Amino acid sequence: MSDQGRFNLRHAALGAALLVIVVSVPHFLKFHHQDLLIFLTINVLVVCSYRLVTLTGEWSLIHAVMLGVGAYAATLSHNHLGLEIWFTLPLAGLTGALVAALLCFPLLRMTQFYFLIGSFAAGEAIRLIWVEWVSVFGGTSGLRGVEAPVVWGIDFLDPIPYYYFCLAVVTLCLLILYRIENSRIGLTLHAIHWKAALAESVGVDAWKYRALAFIIGSFFAAIAGGLKIHYLGSVTPNQFTIGFMVFILIWVIVGGYNKFYGPIIGVVVLTIFDESIREFEIVRPAIYGGMLILSILFLPLGLESIPSKFRSWFGAGSTPSEPPLTDR
Amino acid sequence: MGISRRDFVRTTAAGAVIASTGLPSRVFAAGQKTIKVGMNIPMTGDYAPWGLPGLYGCQIVADDINAAGGVDIGGENYGIEMVSYDHGYDIEKALQGYKKMVSEDEVSMVMMLGGATVGAVMPWGERKDVFTTTLLSSDVTPETEHLLAPVESHPLYVVTGVDWLARNHPDAKTAVIVTNNDVEYGLQAAATFQAAFEVAGIEVVDMNLHGFDVTDFAPLVSSVLAKNPDIFCMATSFYTTALMEQLYHQGFKGKVISTTLDYHEEVIAKTSQEFVDGTIHQFPSFDDPRLNDAGIAFPNPNAFDAEYRKRHPNDWSAVSWEYPAIMLNWIEGAKAAGNTNSNDVLAALKANSNPSFVFGGGRWWGKELWGLDNIVVGNWPIVVIEGGKTRIKEFGSVTDWLDKHSAVLVKYMKEHGLRTVT
Repeated sequence: MSDQGRFNLRHAALGAALLVIVVSVPHFLKFHHQDLLIFLTINVLVVCSYRLVTLTGEWSLIHAVMLGVGAYAATLSHNHLGLEIWFTLPLAGLTGALVAALLCFPLLRMTQFYFLIGSFAAGEAIRLIWVEWVSVFGGTSGLRGVEAPVVWGIDFLDPIPYYYFCLAVVTLCLLILYRIENSRIGLTLHAIHWKAALAESVGVDAWKYRALAFIIGSFFAAIAGGLKIHYLGSVTPNQFTIGFMVFILIWVIVGGYNKFYGPIIGVVVLTIFDESIREFEIVRPAIYGGMLILSILFLPLGLESIPSKFRSWFGAGSTPSEPPLTDR
Repeated sequence: MGISRRDFVRTTAAGAVIASTGLPSRVFAAGQKTIKVGMNIPMTGDYAPWGLPGLYGCQIVADDINAAGGVDIGGENYGIEMVSYDHGYDIEKALQGYKKMVSEDEVSMVMMLGGATVGAVMPWGERKDVFTTTLLSSDVTPETEHLLAPVESHPLYVVTGVDWLARNHPDAKTAVIVTNNDVEYGLQAAATFQAAFEVAGIEVVDMNLHGFDVTDFAPLVSSVLAKNPDIFCMATSFYTTALMEQLYHQGFKGKVISTTLDYHEEVIAKTSQEFVDGTIHQFPSFDDPRLNDAGIAFPNPNAFDAEYRKRHPNDWSAVSWEYPAIMLNWIEGAKAAGNTNSNDVLAALKANSNPSFVFGGGRWWGKELWGLDNIVVGNWPIVVIEGGKTRIKEFGSVTDWLDKHSAVLVKYMKEHGLRTVT
């Protein structure tokens, strides 16, 4: 068999094994861990959509709020228009994309650190609207009444049916994100990240592509928000604070963001770790802080770089040494 | 020396760790069946003072019941086992904890603090018929049939405090309200105080509903004191200590009224006993002799208080007695139903048109405001700090006030954009 054939076979086997695991895993979990699995599945979409935004080299602090935009859009359309989840999710995504498109004009005038701070400020402004406009958004107690449906006797508020629904939606979204990253658009985003000036010199409209990444990332983040809220049944502004944004950053940084699957590894490993330290809630921030520092010091390319590190130690490959997000 | 909310959070960290593991009472008779009672509450974080002290209180009552041989329900004898889960006021964790308690720990009922965490669990709770309780009456909606507010009907009872103030200090004619702008606690309480002040003929001359980002209360207090109010109302504030400090430093001489004044010893330490004396609020210390009056439906309140302070000297808060009172209320319902099935217990409790209420005079209420009569309102104590101690001055009737003036309350709730069914 050719090398290519072996490569394809290995990937097919890996894919099949992964499929068996994700399909069967809820049946081996306790009831409340099934809930955790649902949130983990949704968070996989959150980190992957965030990674798309970071492909251009810009790190934003508004991604958590974009989840909220989707969550509020899903809730309002469910409560006021009577739409079910099949329609609220696309609507949530479109609302997230629309808000992102509007924010592009002020935010994308900035880059790097200024963009980071600007995105934080814009996110807080949106959150304040939710807090202060009580009659529409319910203030700090948020909105209730959005629920997963019962279809043909299947109660989607039960964890296993909802998990499979989430799995299907998230898988579809990940496939789209993967295709985008490996298309000409994705290559252009990478080019803008590494050599923005050179890309522009050959006619690439960097602003347009950065805006596109921001809008697409926000679209999928908002879908994740809609998914989450249909299961939780209520939405509050406190779910989308800078605290949650920090978790997104930690998942992405600890997992690694050079490869598509890096943030997925980060969110899976840290969610399992997080559950294992549940009884030490008070010291949890300190533990996370410590992990982040250790990760940056000893695994700057994230958990995704561990296999190649092993290979290099055993003489089967080169050490991954590219510093992340450094202009070359 | 008292203890602040932050000190509370720090010093009870170990307690929270132990409590979150759900350690049960371990004084069951051999082979005795047990009823598991769930507490899905914040035991860490900013809301911990309204969670963990309640678990401590329940443990004392459960130990008491178990030491006396348990409780007879339908001819079977049961011990009480507490099962707790710390959700830290995070709604995802609240849902996980709730499902864990119901599906894995098989609790018979779940007690919660209220607010957004209750909103998150009730859709599932309703589909599974889970008997759930809250301390916030505003959590009740037309859809939450299995959600009861059987003890605290926050913030309805504050009307009794204003009524007492108006009758006993008729010279106080103007008030200012300063509280946090959250919907669950601040705005609900602000609207209720506004209604009570209007009914009492007291004019609200200024109101400051601030965010949780305020760290310096000096300018905020100066601004409202510029209106020369006779009364400073803190409604249900998370910042009572900081506000009292500012009032003291800025020389306020009027009356202070608040929903509660947890850890008032700390306020005295930071100001003076003379200044704090006279402050009106609504949460008694359970060593108060008035709690031995006829009609009080809490067994041996003074002994409970003594035991509590022996076990947890610095941890008494407004909820220390409330969760135990809810648990006792549920046991009463289970006895009447003859089993622990949530629908049967609910039906047994609701069948009683004069339900047992901790301070007496209970009645089911709530339909005209929130769509369901799942809230028990009755008499509520008006407490004044005297000589550094909280002392009950009177039991006021929340029911009487609501019968006469609920339209005024609805008016102010709508003004704040708060949910009502009318």
